[in-house]
Amino acid sequence: MKVGEYEYQEGFYYTKEHEWLRIEGDKCRIGLCDYAQKQLHEIVFVDLPKVGAKVTQMQSMGTVESVKAVADVFAPASGEVVETNTKLTNSPELLNSSPFGDGWIAVIKPSSLDQDLKALMDPKAYAEFLKTISEKK
Amino acid sequence: MLQLADKTQVYEYHEKSGHIVEFAGFLMPTWYKGIIPECAAVRNAVGLFDVSHMGRMIVSGKSAEAFLNYLTPNNVTGLKPFQGHYSVMCNEEGGIVDDIIVTRYDQELFMVVFNASNRRKDVTWITENSKRFNIKLDHASDKVAMFAVQGPKARATVQKISKEEVSKIPRFGCGWLTVDEVRCSASGTGYTGEDGLEIYVYDAPVDEPWRAMKVWNAILEAGREFDIEPCGLGSRDVLRLEAGMCLYGNDIDETTTPLEARIGWVVKLEKGDFLGREALAKQKAEGVKRLRVGMKILDRGIARAGHEILKDGKLIGKVTSGTLSPLLGYSIATGFVPKEYFNEGEKVEIRVRDKTLAAEIVKMPFYDTSKYGWQRKA
Repeated sequence: MKVGEYEYQEGFYYTKEHEWLRIEGDKCRIGLCDYAQKQLHEIVFVDLPKVGAKVTQMQSMGTVESVKAVADVFAPASGEVVETNTKLTNSPELLNSSPFGDGWIAVIKPSSLDQDLKALMDPKAYAEFLKTISEKK
Repeated sequence: MLQLADKTQVYEYHEKSGHIVEFAGFLMPTWYKGIIPECAAVRNAVGLFDVSHMGRMIVSGKSAEAFLNYLTPNNVTGLKPFQGHYSVMCNEEGGIVDDIIVTRYDQELFMVVFNASNRRKDVTWITENSKRFNIKLDHASDKVAMFAVQGPKARATVQKISKEEVSKIPRFGCGWLTVDEVRCSASGTGYTGEDGLEIYVYDAPVDEPWRAMKVWNAILEAGREFDIEPCGLGSRDVLRLEAGMCLYGNDIDETTTPLEARIGWVVKLEKGDFLGREALAKQKAEGVKRLRVGMKILDRGIARAGHEILKDGKLIGKVTSGTLSPLLGYSIATGFVPKEYFNEGEKVEIRVRDKTLAAEIVKMPFYDTSKYGWQRKA
C-alpha cells in the first residue's frame, strides 16, 4: 500500500513518529516506517536497545543515524525487549532497503498492549496521516 | 520579520533533482542521489557543487591592497595578479569574524569570498572597516554565480568546455574562462581536499539566471564520461571534514583565533598592522592554551557537534564537527582540547548520549594524502 511515494503495510500499527508495530502471538515486532527511512536517507548507524531492557511507550528505545542526522526510535508500546535485529549492526542499510521486513529493529514482550494500542494508528488512520504530512511538503 | 528563503541561480535544478533544506537563508540541496555516492564521486572522479550562496565582494582602487592588508592577517602584498590565498578576518581580540579567500585579479582589483552564513555580517564588517581607505566595494554575491568542480577529474571536465588551458591554473591561482560564450573565471580552490576549480559565472543575476544555468548544465554534460555527480551540502560537509578544514560557526567563530584553530599560517605578524594583530601577537608570544584537533573514533558510533571530549573521565573539550566518513569507514571528529593533549595517538573519550566512545587524536587530513586529496600520487 502506498500514499504518494511512502509505503505502509496492512495489519500493522503506527506511531506519529513513524514507527510500526506488528503483533506476533504474545510478542510485538517493532520497526521504522518507510517514511522515516526516506527522510533520514542512507542510514549508517543503529544503536539497538539491549535484550532485557524495559521500554516505555513513546520513550526512546534507541537511535538510528544517517551521515548527517540522528533520530530516536520511540517504542510504539511498553514492554521488555526479547530480541534485537543484530544484522543491523553491520548492515544498517537494511532499514532503507526493507523497512517493514529485514530492517525490523526489535521484538518486545508487551506489558500493556491493549492500553497502548489505543494510542497507535491503524493502517487507515496512518494512511490519512501520511496524506496530511505529504500535502504539507 | 518573516523573510522568505533565497534561491540561487540554479535553484530550478536543485528543486527538480535534489532534497532541499534551508541553509543560511538559502534553499539548497542537501543531497541529490545521496551523501555517500556524492562523496565517492568527488574522491574518485568529479562532483559539482552550487556554491552561489556564498558571499562575494569585489574590492578595487588604489588602496585596495592596503585595505586588505589591514582587514586580514595574511600578506596581500605577496599576491601577484591571478593569485589568491586562504585567509580570515579577525576582530580586535583576534577572534575570527569569518574565514575567506582573497584573490588578486589585477594590481588594484581583488575578490573576497566569504561564508553564506556570514553574508550580512561580513558586508557590514568590510564596509565599516573600509572608511579610511580610498577603495570601491562592489557586493557581487547576487550577480555572480559560483560552482565548485571538485575531484581528480575536475580539470579534465572543465577543459572539455573551455578554450583556455585550465591545467595551467595553479592551486589558489585563477584565470579567465569562456564557457559557451559565457564570461567566467576559474580558481584552483575548493572545500573538499581534492584538486578542483571554482568557476565564477559573471553577469548572472539571480533574476536572470540563464548564463549560470548554461554553465552548470555544460559542466554536468562534460563530466558525464567521468560519472560526475551533482553534490549537495551534505557531502560538502563530510568532504571538508575528512580534509580537516574548518566550518565557520561550528569549528571557528569570533571566540576562536586562527592560532587556536591551527590555521596560523594565515597570520603574518611581520607584515605590519592589521585588525587583531596585537591580540594575536600576544597569544603567539604566550602560547595558545587550546588547539583544534582531529579525532578518530575507535568504537562504533558517531561523534557530533556538542558532544563532550573527556580524558580519564574529566571534561577537556567539546566536539565542534563530527561525521561518519564514508571513505574511511569510521567516524571522525574535530574539536578543541587543551594544548597538552595535542599529541598524535593520545587517547580520549567522547560522550555520545549514554555511551562513551574511545577516540584518539590523529593528524588531519584524516585520509592518506598519498591516495586522496590534491597531493595524491596519480
